[in-house]
Amino acid sequence: MAKVVVLGAGISGHTAVMVLRKKLGKKHEVIMVSPNSNYQWIPSNIWVGIGQMKPKQVIFPLAPVYKRKGVNFKQAIAKTIFPEGDTAITNPFVEIEYVEEGKKGQKEKVEYDYLINATGPKLNFAATEGLGPDGHTVSVCTYGHAAHAWEKLQESLDKMAKGDKQRFVIGTGHPMATCQGAAFEYALNVAFEINKRKLMHLAEITWITNEYELGDFGMGGAFIKKGGYVTSTKIFTESIMAEYGIKWIKRAGVKKVEEGVIHYETLDGEESTIEFDFSMLIPGFAGVGINAKNKNGDDISAELFAPNGFLKVDADYTPKDFDNWSIKDWPSTYQSPKYENIFACGIAFAPPHSISKPFKSKKGTPIFPTPPRTGMPSGVMGKVVALNVAESVKSGKTSVKHKASMGKMGAACIVSSGYGLRDGMAATMTVYPVVPDFEKYPEWGRDLGYTVGEPGLAGHWMKLFMHYMFIYKAKALPGWSLIPE
Amino acid sequence: MIRKPIAKGYKDEDYPPIPTRTNRFMRKFWPYQIIRFFVLNLKIMRIIVGGHS
Repeated sequence: MAKVVVLGAGISGHTAVMVLRKKLGKKHEVIMVSPNSNYQWIPSNIWVGIGQMKPKQVIFPLAPVYKRKGVNFKQAIAKTIFPEGDTAITNPFVEIEYVEEGKKGQKEKVEYDYLINATGPKLNFAATEGLGPDGHTVSVCTYGHAAHAWEKLQESLDKMAKGDKQRFVIGTGHPMATCQGAAFEYALNVAFEINKRKLMHLAEITWITNEYELGDFGMGGAFIKKGGYVTSTKIFTESIMAEYGIKWIKRAGVKKVEEGVIHYETLDGEESTIEFDFSMLIPGFAGVGINAKNKNGDDISAELFAPNGFLKVDADYTPKDFDNWSIKDWPSTYQSPKYENIFACGIAFAPPHSISKPFKSKKGTPIFPTPPRTGMPSGVMGKVVALNVAESVKSGKTSVKHKASMGKMGAACIVSSGYGLRDGMAATMTVYPVVPDFEKYPEWGRDLGYTVGEPGLAGHWMKLFMHYMFIYKAKALPGWSLIPE
Repeated sequence: MIRKPIAKGYKDEDYPPIPTRTNRFMRKFWPYQIIRFFVLNLKIMRIIVGGHS
């Protein structure tokens, strides 16, 4: 009997565990280790953050699903990986610490034959002084944060209803933050809600971003066919911002947040501030802080993980100039080069470099987005890793014939505002591939037939449709495996 | 659709293209959007199928 352990029940980890359970017979054990008792469909947190959905609409308890499917669920935090075992246990294992009521604080050594690290990121609010729900800004990164954001937003809306002016600042809260798409979507939704209440004359909405140009989204921007031209997503994004009455500050790295004031540095080295009444800023991401030790108990974290805490996989991590980057640098199997039975998928894998061109300010501060690897790519990675592990378990020999490189994988990002079949509007963006391939597509880096930017109700319907479809799939209800990632 | 009057100053937000009334109508015109719904879904399905082996 083989034991496969998956760390993290987000989009990537949950996909992996469900595919493993489907592919492996009951004689093999599939274990999920996650500190969260609920699955959350993160893209819909935006609707929670504007009060159009309740948190319970974007989550469901994991334990009943895993019980029904025969997955051994341990509500715990993974602390240390022992890939070689230790002096007492010869098999590899992960040391975990339970967080569930009744077992809180208890530790356990969970042995494995294969380990999939899909922990997602640590939301690194601490990297920016004063950032986050414990500081002076709100977040939509979790359903709890989004519910808190809605409470704060309501306070501003109430003040505007009484005739007070309010300043809204939305964007990235760290010089190297990613997930611009989520922040962009939230900015549009806030503008939509204010406009719906006919209070736009009392609002000043500002988008603050570490992107070199708007529409970069951490993937170096994209080119799309529009109105007889090939045009940049910079134009597409700026057009939507202007239409919604949102001003912007670009090339800005937020350094500190105080009550009502954001301090930021721009690429030209200028230190500035902007005042706010309501602010939602996305934090920087880091690895969740799992350690690794060898058989003798020596710390080997630096061998397994990159300095940012994400797990090193089959990527080319050789430092190179921007002009020498290639899609071949990007991983395709997500297998650790050090231990062939360890994999990492979703945000947990260490990217070889950013996709956007890296810039430093005149003072030496790096200000550029790190690569996005959420949503659709996360699910695809989880599936591919699970297929390889399942086949390895069945054959008794590690094989990695299934591949999914972000240089050959597309992604869809639907930035939707409003809610309902008639009232919404979405900017639908698809890119293929996520990492531009200038060898295959020398002119634009991507296939223009599948790289799209289109505003309209259709995208909004897709967003609604995806909410219900992917929650159905995640619940592993009949036919779930027919729904693609 | 949100449409804020644009003051013609020399600010970043004064320069991007702003959709015309026809454009905004088409974005909400159900028959056209139903077609776009299927076209976009097909493109995304193609991306998914081509994304991994």
